[in-house]
Amino acid sequence: MKRIVFLCVLLVFNMGIRATAQEIPDPSFSMNGYGRGVVFGGGTAYSLASVFSELSLQTSVTKSSALLETDIRFRTGMYFNERKTELQIRELYAGYKSQKFDAFLGNQIVTWGRTEGFSPTNNITPDDFFFLSPDPNDQKLSNFMLKMNYRPALGVGLELVVIPFYKMSRYRFDLFDMFDMSGSDWGGFDQFDMSNIIDFGEDMVPEKILANGSYAARADVDFSAFGGSVSWFRGYDPYHGFDVVSVNWSTGKPVIRIASMPYLKTSIGADLDVPIGSLMIFKAEAAYNHTRNPNNKIFIPNPDISYVVGLETSLWGCMILGQYIGKYTFDYTPLSEPQMPSEASAMELLQYAEEMIDYETRLFNRKVFNQQERTNHALFLTVTRMFAYDVITAECTAYYNLTSNEWFVRPKLSWRVSDAFMASVGGNYMRGKDKTLYSYSSSLMNGAFAELKVIF
Amino acid sequence: MKQNKNRRKNIFAAVVTILLLFSAGGGLFAQSASEISKKSADIIDFVSMEMDLTIIIRDARGSERVRQLTMSSGLFNGVNKTLIRFMAPSDVKGTALLIYDYQDKEDDMWIYMPALKKVRRIISSERGKSFMGSEFTNADMSKPNHIDFNYTLIGSATYEGKECWVVEAEGKDQNIKRSNGYSKSISYIEKDTYLCYKTEYYNMAGDLHRIRITSDYKNVTKSSYFAYSTTMENVKNGRISEMKVNKMDTGKNFREDMFSPNALQ
Repeated sequence: MKRIVFLCVLLVFNMGIRATAQEIPDPSFSMNGYGRGVVFGGGTAYSLASVFSELSLQTSVTKSSALLETDIRFRTGMYFNERKTELQIRELYAGYKSQKFDAFLGNQIVTWGRTEGFSPTNNITPDDFFFLSPDPNDQKLSNFMLKMNYRPALGVGLELVVIPFYKMSRYRFDLFDMFDMSGSDWGGFDQFDMSNIIDFGEDMVPEKILANGSYAARADVDFSAFGGSVSWFRGYDPYHGFDVVSVNWSTGKPVIRIASMPYLKTSIGADLDVPIGSLMIFKAEAAYNHTRNPNNKIFIPNPDISYVVGLETSLWGCMILGQYIGKYTFDYTPLSEPQMPSEASAMELLQYAEEMIDYETRLFNRKVFNQQERTNHALFLTVTRMFAYDVITAECTAYYNLTSNEWFVRPKLSWRVSDAFMASVGGNYMRGKDKTLYSYSSSLMNGAFAELKVIF
Repeated sequence: MKQNKNRRKNIFAAVVTILLLFSAGGGLFAQSASEISKKSADIIDFVSMEMDLTIIIRDARGSERVRQLTMSSGLFNGVNKTLIRFMAPSDVKGTALLIYDYQDKEDDMWIYMPALKKVRRIISSERGKSFMGSEFTNADMSKPNHIDFNYTLIGSATYEGKECWVVEAEGKDQNIKRSNGYSKSISYIEKDTYLCYKTEYYNMAGDLHRIRITSDYKNVTKSSYFAYSTTMENVKNGRISEMKVNKMDTGKNFREDMFSPNALQ
């Protein structure tokens, strides 16, 4: 693998040296950014789930074919009742840019896929799903990588990404009230005092060696009649699973330690967009995700194929994007809930408890991987309309999972008061049946938000 | 009897001649309007150039917003390709819009937005929408397709001391009208130079909506021009947008791959 990557680097560098340098004025420096205050609250678990102020400094330096880009954010605030001050290097990369070839090294964000929201081929950049910001793009977390692009012909692009060290997406499942046993369907297991039985341990990150890095490549075309790409990814999935690392019975009740556990996968994907006249664009995207799990580890999903088809159109001044999102899971077998022995000895009860922990954790991982049934179906709709010469933007995104009956709706209204000042208000409401991810998340993430932003 | 027959024949011949003359005259008249409009469009050099633009938007209360962009265009195999990069305000900096303007079919448009980190194809029926919140529309940023309109020469007029033809261009169907954001336009084209100094745009209901005043024409080549100042006034709400060319280079030999969607990022 190392040799292949090395050869690819050499080959593309060689092509790049021969490519004509882009005409970039010499030298240029620009700095801009924003400062903002954000408040998100109104949920049941936290009256103010997130309040923070943030300063973002974005700089760009170009000299001949050399390019340096930064987006550095300084943020301080309270997140789920925890005070935190942090300096986030959202992006910081340097490299070479020409008409035919680019090579950048540093912290970068890469977004693949022609569909929106749930792109099956978008495997590279992790997300911080519990960072409550009015702009969902703020949830993206950059990763250190080498990214190279080569454009051999008009409308044709090749991209290679090498990520030496794994970075996982952030889920704050430790904030969930998952083991509220009132009305539990855990059989007779609730005879234990089940409060505080879950303990989230340290994330299990793969050893920092190149063999545990991620490698991805994409060939992309954009023509008048259609655009499309084929892509390949091999590495640890940023959207990881959870494993039970220990169960401690010393106190008489189980203390289950769960940890984020990444898994290796190979993904082959493709996407497509086709304009239909001047009124619509058809979009489609699919990826086959291959995993190996000979020991039936609970944090590794089954191989699956994820697919999205959608139509984007403009009606009554609104931009409307509707998508169907599906997933087919190979080798799917339903989970059977362990049965409580009728007259249980202590050993049998212990065995039952361990089986129950395994069952519940597997069930939870299947929710995270959206593999709750052999085939899973969901619908996604986003409507955006601009008013008053783009001064006011109204948008609403909705999602409904037909398989698990979970849904969310997210309205947002932005008012561009002046070139330098912007205000946004909106909300987030999600709901799901008992013991679904959305039912757990709703107490944290349901609520309203407001943002005041000064742009400079 | 024979005399009557001859008279009828003569009357018939006269009527046919008059009809033919009228129809031919009408055709010539229409063709002239089309020709004038075509020459007026062709005299503006809109290809193989690069320019820095400032758009100042003033509303009826006097508040002002400023947009800055660079625009490059080139003609490749009969397709006019335009690349627009937004420079200000700072939150749209880095956004790039690529337009393939075809004469015989719908345009192709792609946009790169830095926040999304990806290039998206966008619907070309958005041509009639406001360009960057100004009175200009996306359609105003490129030449209209000549074949999409029916032209009528509705007379002559003097505009600011210039003898002008007054040419009406009406979209051939509702889709074209909706796509361009106006039902018809009336242009004042100077007879000597074919330069257009004023255009009135009528909305879908047929009411006067916007007035474009073009000035500060400068020679690009011996026989072609470009306007360095264009003002668009919305007569319905009193907003005025002024587009000024700060810098312009023409006759550039751009490589076509600069206008490739995957080069937008």
